[in-house]
Amino acid sequence: MSFLILDRLSKSFGAVKVFDGLSLAVAKGETVAICSPSGSGKTLLLRLIAGIYEPDAGEILIDGKAVTGLAPDARGIGMAFQNFALYPHLTAFENIASPLRARGVAEAELTRRVGRVAEILKIGHVLRHLPRELSNGQKQRTALARAIVADARLLLLDDPLRNVDAKLRYEMRHELPRVLREFEATVLYVTQDFREAMALGRRIGVLHGGGFVQVDRPQRIYADPETVEVARLFGDPTINLYDSELAGGAVSLLGLTLGLPGAADGGRRPCRVGVRPEHVELDAGGEAAPDGGAGGLPVTIEAVTPLNQNAVLLLQAAGGGEILASTTLQRAEALARGPRRAIARVRPEHLLLFDRDSGARIRTG
Amino acid sequence: MQRSSWPWRIFKALCLTAISLFFLFPILWVLLMSFQTNADILRVPPSPFFTPTLANYKALIAGELTGAGSTLQIAYMKNILNSFVLSACSVLLSLLLGVPAAYAFARYRFRLGENIAFTLLSFRFAPPLLVLLPLLLYFQELGLYDTYIGLIWVYQLITLPLILWIVRGYFEDVSPDIEHAYRIDGHSWLRSFLKIAVPLARPGIAAAALLAFIFAWNNFVFALILGSSDVQPVTVGALAFITASGIQYGQIAAGLVLSVIPTFVLALVMQRYLVEGLSLGAVKG
Amino acid sequence: MTTQDMTQASVLPARRRGGRLRAALPYLLSLPSLLVTIGILIPFGTAVYYSLQRYNLAFPFTRGFIGLDNYAQFLADPAFWNTVRVSLLYTLLTVGVELLLGLAMALLLQRRTAVNNLLSVLLILPLMTAPAIAALMWKLMTNPNFGVLSYLVGLAGFTDFRWASAPSTALLTVVLVDVWVYTPFMMILLLAGLRSLPRQPFEAAELDGVPASFVFFRITLPMLTPYIITASLFRMLDAIQQFDIIYAMTQGGPGDRLMVFQVQAYLEAFTFTNIGRSAAFLMVLWAITFALSNLFIKQWLKLRERTHHAAG
Repeated sequence: MSFLILDRLSKSFGAVKVFDGLSLAVAKGETVAICSPSGSGKTLLLRLIAGIYEPDAGEILIDGKAVTGLAPDARGIGMAFQNFALYPHLTAFENIASPLRARGVAEAELTRRVGRVAEILKIGHVLRHLPRELSNGQKQRTALARAIVADARLLLLDDPLRNVDAKLRYEMRHELPRVLREFEATVLYVTQDFREAMALGRRIGVLHGGGFVQVDRPQRIYADPETVEVARLFGDPTINLYDSELAGGAVSLLGLTLGLPGAADGGRRPCRVGVRPEHVELDAGGEAAPDGGAGGLPVTIEAVTPLNQNAVLLLQAAGGGEILASTTLQRAEALARGPRRAIARVRPEHLLLFDRDSGARIRTG
Repeated sequence: MQRSSWPWRIFKALCLTAISLFFLFPILWVLLMSFQTNADILRVPPSPFFTPTLANYKALIAGELTGAGSTLQIAYMKNILNSFVLSACSVLLSLLLGVPAAYAFARYRFRLGENIAFTLLSFRFAPPLLVLLPLLLYFQELGLYDTYIGLIWVYQLITLPLILWIVRGYFEDVSPDIEHAYRIDGHSWLRSFLKIAVPLARPGIAAAALLAFIFAWNNFVFALILGSSDVQPVTVGALAFITASGIQYGQIAAGLVLSVIPTFVLALVMQRYLVEGLSLGAVKG
Repeated sequence: MTTQDMTQASVLPARRRGGRLRAALPYLLSLPSLLVTIGILIPFGTAVYYSLQRYNLAFPFTRGFIGLDNYAQFLADPAFWNTVRVSLLYTLLTVGVELLLGLAMALLLQRRTAVNNLLSVLLILPLMTAPAIAALMWKLMTNPNFGVLSYLVGLAGFTDFRWASAPSTALLTVVLVDVWVYTPFMMILLLAGLRSLPRQPFEAAELDGVPASFVFFRITLPMLTPYIITASLFRMLDAIQQFDIIYAMTQGGPGDRLMVFQVQAYLEAFTFTNIGRSAAFLMVLWAITFALSNLFIKQWLKLRERTHHAAG
């Protein structure tokens, strides 16, 4: 049985319905990253689980026991806040020791455990300092240490890397999984950054419109999104999206008509077609084009933005419409030399189709 | 205002001197007077040179005024003690009642809370006699007239709104997440209130308590109406004392000096809190 | 997908253990203050009731409900109009002088030098003096036999200057005491206001060589206005119901020169035992202070909101 179960939670503030029948199950020891744009209620979800707020309806079960209605101190949870929420009048040591003191841990044991966590998180040297004397990174580590020190059965991490600088965020993204594994915790990790979610979560949950629209392994979330929002949220550069119609087992976009293998030959259906930038294949344009460019889309290269070993190209289709493509830096430079023209191709199996009204995925074949 | 030509600076210095003279001279003069004999006081022209005497203070503390051939028993020290009892107990009671309420008003938005807060605040500015007159009749019936308990209860009119409003502002400045974090650590509500909320609002609590004490100490009209000499504070006692003692001017001066020493000492020692409190939390830092 | 493995989670009825206690917490915490509030509202209601009665302790048998008669009598009552006039005059004079003097002091002490810091602490001392005690101090200083102020005006040629005892100078004397006590309050609030103003406009003006008078009237004063309004309203609320200073100094005399609202009401109740009339006087004063206090509270909350936002 799952360790944490959220069963059909609903929560409204006045007329605003934030959650409407939200459900989720997390296995013991699993890390689930919750990723969605701001304003979708990620922080609120953690606060419901922690007992800061109560759901209007539904049940929260931790380790098989319903905790709904229990005060926060009775839930045995560890939580790190986005704004750290350190106790400004207590030293880093006392901040970290707080959950242990609440559990009545003896002084010697307490010192040992705080020391161990501090060592793992590399803040052993600042334990005597007050929060205001700590750097942002040290504050963040202190908050994290406080969350994990008491071996809480469930860890709620609310975008803990949000307020630290980029370098530290990068470091922590690699360090955190190791720390979390060491404490064998079940973790809900909230973030706005899809890369952080993909690096940290064994599964990723995407919140949208009052509930989870997809909970899945990172690769699947990326390759096989359930809705157009999920597709748009994951991926940098973002996915290309075009309004089109599914008719006769084919869609047309930017003047190209692509037959979909296995698509039912039903009626016409308005849809949105998504193409990941790395699935846009580019050939040299002009005379050099193979088959004279047949079956491809002539484009002009408007801009090339290097991104690590890759480059993002902004393309302008001949019949109007923009396309983002991603390819190796080397190849992008080769294409951009000369007349800056190219032929773009997309394979039908790489197309992602979504219903135009609901945004839900249309699966063909 | 950064002009620093010589005439301007001299003008500013003269203004400051005149202002300081106006505000500080009366205190100094009464202080000097309290160390003088009646003969020194009545000398014309007045002279700052005299042989200081402690006789005035000794007489006050002993409670026996001698002069013009007769001896007068007075209980001025009792009045000062009353002031201490009334002010300190009122502030303590207000802290006990007001700090939890201030917390509730800051943390939970509820209609009743706003109503209480505003009613208390608006009655802080209402004419005290309006409430005191009916209270006098009630107190006489209830046996609260001329008692410490009755007066301390009425003093809440001054001290409670101050504490409620100033401390509330400080609680509002504490991020609720800090308390949430503490609760999640496993501590009870009471512990988080006592170990997190109250310590973090301590500057505000100190400022409010200090100000409330001074206002209570300086109050005059409550005890004038609701008490007799047994429980009356020094403000009322001083007036009665002047009427009774006639021409013992040095002793009057000494009495006045004794009555202001506690508030002066508090103000000088805790001036940082005082300024924060006096601006009623409207201006911080 | 979303409820994939939710099926085995049994649907339990939602329990709200401790939920009720949690909901009641704010009410529990404010209960004592509520009791105190009710304790104030009961006598207030009683006072309203008295003001609608013929109620003289000397003639208990004549007590009875007379509606608004106590108020109606005020219209033709010179004593009432004298009270209104004296109270307003006292309020305008004290608050006016205190505002100007307090503003001047705040400007003089604006820069944080050692001397200024020391002075701003010492200048609070009059405010720490009980108004009743302050009145007694000034009574000593204006004593015709040995008072240092009487001696000084005597040197200046005003022999027989009788301060609070003379009808022509009584108001001036009590205003002087009020100014002595309360100007430091104005100073503190305006000083805090001045020091919290943003620096950029002043630095820009200095760079541009703008004359000091222009800076004061066009930058300092407008930016300080919310503080000036708040402080003035607060002082007006206090001044219109001044009792301690006047009672301790002259008990409303000489004649009816200083019969402000609360002194008049006090004498009505305790000298003439006319409770009904006294209550009616106080109700009129209450109406004035209620209007003023609403203005003040609004202004104060606005100011507080602003400075709290500025402070982050």
